[in-house]
This record gives sequence, C-alpha cells and structure tokens, in this order.
Amino acid sequence: MNNCQAYQKYNYYDMNNNMNNNMNNYLNNYNNTNQLYDAYTGFIRGNMFPKLYDPYKIPNPYEIQPMNEQAQLLTHLDALQFALIDLNLYLDVHPEDRNMINLFNQYRVQKEQVKKEYENKFGPLTLSSDALNTYPWAWINEPWPWRNQ
Amino acid sequence: MWQYVKKLQYPVNIQRKDLKMAKALLAQYGGPDSELAAALRYLNQRYTMPDERGYALLTDIGTEELAHLEMLGTMIYQLMKDATIEELKEAGLAGHYAQHGKALFPTDANGVPFTSAYIEATADFMADLESNMAAEQRARAVYENLMNQTNDPDVLAPLSFLRQREIVHFERFKELRDYYLQKYPKNT
Repeated sequence: MNNCQAYQKYNYYDMNNNMNNNMNNYLNNYNNTNQLYDAYTGFIRGNMFPKLYDPYKIPNPYEIQPMNEQAQLLTHLDALQFALIDLNLYLDVHPEDRNMINLFNQYRVQKEQVKKEYENKFGPLTLSSDALNTYPWAWINEPWPWRNQ
Repeated sequence: MWQYVKKLQYPVNIQRKDLKMAKALLAQYGGPDSELAAALRYLNQRYTMPDERGYALLTDIGTEELAHLEMLGTMIYQLMKDATIEELKEAGLAGHYAQHGKALFPTDANGVPFTSAYIEATADFMADLESNMAAEQRARAVYENLMNQTNDPDVLAPLSFLRQREIVHFERFKELRDYYLQKYPKNT
C-alpha cells in the first residue's frame, strides 16, 4: 500500500494523554488521511481510517465517560481490541502491508497486557484467563455485558 | 470455533426507558438487514469464497456482526426492562409481550419473525460480494432512520458506532470484489 510510513507515527497508544485531549487536537493530528487514528480516537468513531470516517447527525463522536477505575480500564481494553478488529479486516484484504502487520502486532501486545491487568483486578473476560484459578468459580460473576453498569 | 469475550464491542449503558425506540431497534436485531441476517449471511457465504482472502474476510466480518447483535440485544433489553404493561401496549408491543414477555426475540420492527430468507448465498462469489455491499448500504440507511428517532446520547452513541462499522465493512467488501475482478476476469 501507499504511504505505509505515515501510520508508524501513531503506533503508541497512551490512554491518559489521549483521553483528555480535545477534538481539535485530534483533527489537527489527522489531516493526512493516510495516517491512522490512535486506538481510542478510532474506537469512539467506529473506525481507525480517517478517510473512511463519515459522521451522521452527531458532528463530534461521543467521548466514553468511565465512572470508575474498572470502566476506565475496560475502555482502554475496548479501544485496543477495536484497533485489532479494524486492522484485522484491513489486513484480510491487504495481507502484504508489512507496516500494518507491525502495527497490528504492537496493538496485540498492548491489548494482552491490558487484558491481563483488567482480569487480575476485576475477573475473567475469557475462559483462557489466569483469573479463573480461583474459588469459587469466578466466571459467573457480574458484570455480564448486557446489564446496566 | 468461537470463544466468548465477556464484554461488548462498544459500551451500552442506557438509563432512560423508551419503548418506541426498543421496537424500532428490532429492525436491526431481527429484520432483513439486521445484524443477525448479516452474521448468518457472511458465515454461510464464506465456504464458497474462491480464496483465502475471502475465507478470512467473511469469517471476520461475520464474527463482528455477532458482536453487533449482542449490542442491539443489550440496547433493546435496557430500553424495555422497566416498562409497565400499559407502556408496552402504548408503544405497540402488546403482541410482543403476549408471545414473548420482555424476552429478546428476533423480529423486525413490525413484529415479523426473522427468516433465513433474508440470507443471500449463491456460491457465486461476485454475486455474493456485491449483495453484501448493498446489504451494508441498506443497514447504514436503517441506522440513519433509527438515529433520526432519538436524541438520547446513550442510544445515539452506540448507533453511531454501528453505522460507521457498516461503512467500513462496505469498503472491505468492495476492495475484495475489486481484487477478484482482476484475479478472476472470466467470472465477471
């Protein structure tokens, strides 16, 4: 793909910085449509690719407003997992984009770290979690995803 | 196989009940261009894609649609869970209540049950991919019709996310179709 170098600039996701920035900072950063959004900025827009972003009714995407530490860590994980999903779909159709593969793997490592941190503090998200080695069986515990937080 | 992740793809935490919106959202839970129809459409079509790019893309988008179905189910559940029977009747959900109580059940916004007739699968990969591009466009249009019916940010935020995903999926299907046009010129 063209201009692969461009997205390498935004490989590093730092939740604490990114979540508090305002929209203008994001827009200034992403004037070049060959750059990707960072994970959180992409997540709240529903895509990592600025040239595909096409909002309707809402001029600016809603910020996620976590109410506690658990929700904040979950938002961090949601954003990283979202980046992986969107890059995965892109790579299925562009399997020879080496820079995107590198970016995918950087997000994958970050996501695994954050998932482990979340699960150690708040319980298992998948049945392969170390947080299942507990008594009583922790898988059944709230929160279940459809329940109001 | 599939593995469950005990969280939503995008958070849903709706505080205000809205029965009419719950009824409208059934369009995307069990209607013709619903997330359920999309998931089953792609997961059935993937077997007869012509190469590995197709196997992967149809599997991965089909999987994401299942996560979207879960978001829709969550939205409808949260909008409806505190409703009285009177409120359900007023919103046109008396029939739903009679047959299903407040359970989730895949119908369209008018209560028509989900049918596999919504799922296109022809084994003609070009026909299937172009059908999928159109399906993503229709789903985007339905999300706009749904967004037009509410001003609740708790509802608009996940709808906006889901609408944008339709745009991304359309683009990926189009890229795969364009790649196949070149790779398999005889089939066009």
